Amino acid sequence: MMVETGIPKLDEFLDGGIPKGKSLIYFNHLGVEGDVFGMQTLYHNLAKGGTCVYVTSSSNPETMKDHLREFGWNIKQFDDKLLIIDGFSSLIGGLSTENYVVSNPESIDSMTEMIDRAMKDVPKGSIIMVGSLSSIMDLCGEENTLNAVKMWNRMAMIREHVLIYNFTAWPYEESTLKSMKNDIFNCVISIGGIEERVIFGQYFGVLKADWSKVEMRSMLFRVLRPGGIRIYIPKILVTGPFNAGKSSFIHSLSTRAVSVDRLGTTIALDHGHIDYKGFSADIFGTPGQERFDPIIKMISGEAMGIFLVVDSTLPKDFIRAKQMLEITKGYGLPHIIVANKQDLPGALSADEIRNHFNIPKDVPIVPTVATSKKGIYEAFDILVEKITGGD
Amino acid sequence: MDSTIELLEKVLTDLKKVGGVEASALASRDGLLIKAIMPSGQHAETFAAMSATMLGAAETATTELGKRIPERVIVESDHGKLIATGAGPKALLVLLTTPEAGLGLILLEMDKAAQNVKELL
Repeated sequence: MMVETGIPKLDEFLDGGIPKGKSLIYFNHLGVEGDVFGMQTLYHNLAKGGTCVYVTSSSNPETMKDHLREFGWNIKQFDDKLLIIDGFSSLIGGLSTENYVVSNPESIDSMTEMIDRAMKDVPKGSIIMVGSLSSIMDLCGEENTLNAVKMWNRMAMIREHVLIYNFTAWPYEESTLKSMKNDIFNCVISIGGIEERVIFGQYFGVLKADWSKVEMRSMLFRVLRPGGIRIYIPKILVTGPFNAGKSSFIHSLSTRAVSVDRLGTTIALDHGHIDYKGFSADIFGTPGQERFDPIIKMISGEAMGIFLVVDSTLPKDFIRAKQMLEITKGYGLPHIIVANKQDLPGALSADEIRNHFNIPKDVPIVPTVATSKKGIYEAFDILVEKITGGD
Repeated sequence: MDSTIELLEKVLTDLKKVGGVEASALASRDGLLIKAIMPSGQHAETFAAMSATMLGAAETATTELGKRIPERVIVESDHGKLIATGAGPKALLVLLTTPEAGLGLILLEMDKAAQNVKELL
């Protein structure tokens, strides 16, 4: 039995989640919204009926709960499953009504004592989450904290709990950061900012997970309020010949979409946005007619994947479709063929299309009827898997 | 030291302070939103994509006629103005203004900002 992180794609990368007895750290670089990761994991497990112990050290326990509410996660209903180790109230001389109160937050031993007690109280396979390891480090010193962390990890291993840390990489000693990334934890998830050409975003990636053979792979993400973490795909292109049903495809797929239509055809751009199964993607649709080729070239840059939409009843247009894949430089990108208008008489099947036009085996062909939403989510699932699957 | 995105954000925030400017945004030439300072609830991504297409289409139209690349595209409506201008080869800058905004100072500031963006990217 694994404990899931509840972050889209991450559990897949980790071969299902975190095994009991293991430790994981969300290692946040400066300037990213990394604290959501821990929150989402916490909520996900409470909602599944798990028991969690949360260690606060930088803010009032209530502040943490308010923060969760921002994302639409109400944890009041799980109050009996969520135990708090309050390492904050004593700092400001306040009284605490929580289950475990750290009497002297500036002493790491005082913290260890409470963590030990909580670990003994909760059932096997519970999550112990350290809200902010960086603030504990600021209070107790780097070396003391790391030594204690090693001990907590051993305690969790013996008692078969999962220990999760949230950490922000302030300018600590180089050696501290290095051993945190390499040695101390079973699993390290790195969360950082990315500047690649014109994409300014945030990514997460698995640096290490000693129970699975992970490849270094990272995913762009964005944070929705409410909603939490979504894998972010800034541009998926929809292209194909005139009247193949590109705009209908985008409109049926999207949570919201706009088009520049004149005389019944797209002349500039369709733009749609989709939120689906933990993914957040922006979809760009090109016009189909040759006279708009300059615009097609212009908007196809930076695409991460392509839907090539064809009218299954019009094989003569397939040559143009192949040409459009060239214009958009789609051959080098993950792409799939959307065989649209399957409801019309004379529509070719996916196999017929593949044989007829020598489509390579690794390019999926998905039959659809865009106007009645048939097949479109399958198409989306397949393309997104190709984009994020990394093969 | 500030990161590139923070510097770009500052350029946009400064533009937004110019009288009459309601929103400012930076998009890539191919229509991806880089950063927008605009009232929440508006879909900045769509706005960026459409503005990029508009400027690109205008540039294609005028160059086809041998008139070189236009300085900017200005769209006027009863409810306000939209101005899009290139900011180097990779990006474009877009502003939304109130209907009564005078363009003199705005265009001057916008050109300066576009130059800064060009240096930053």
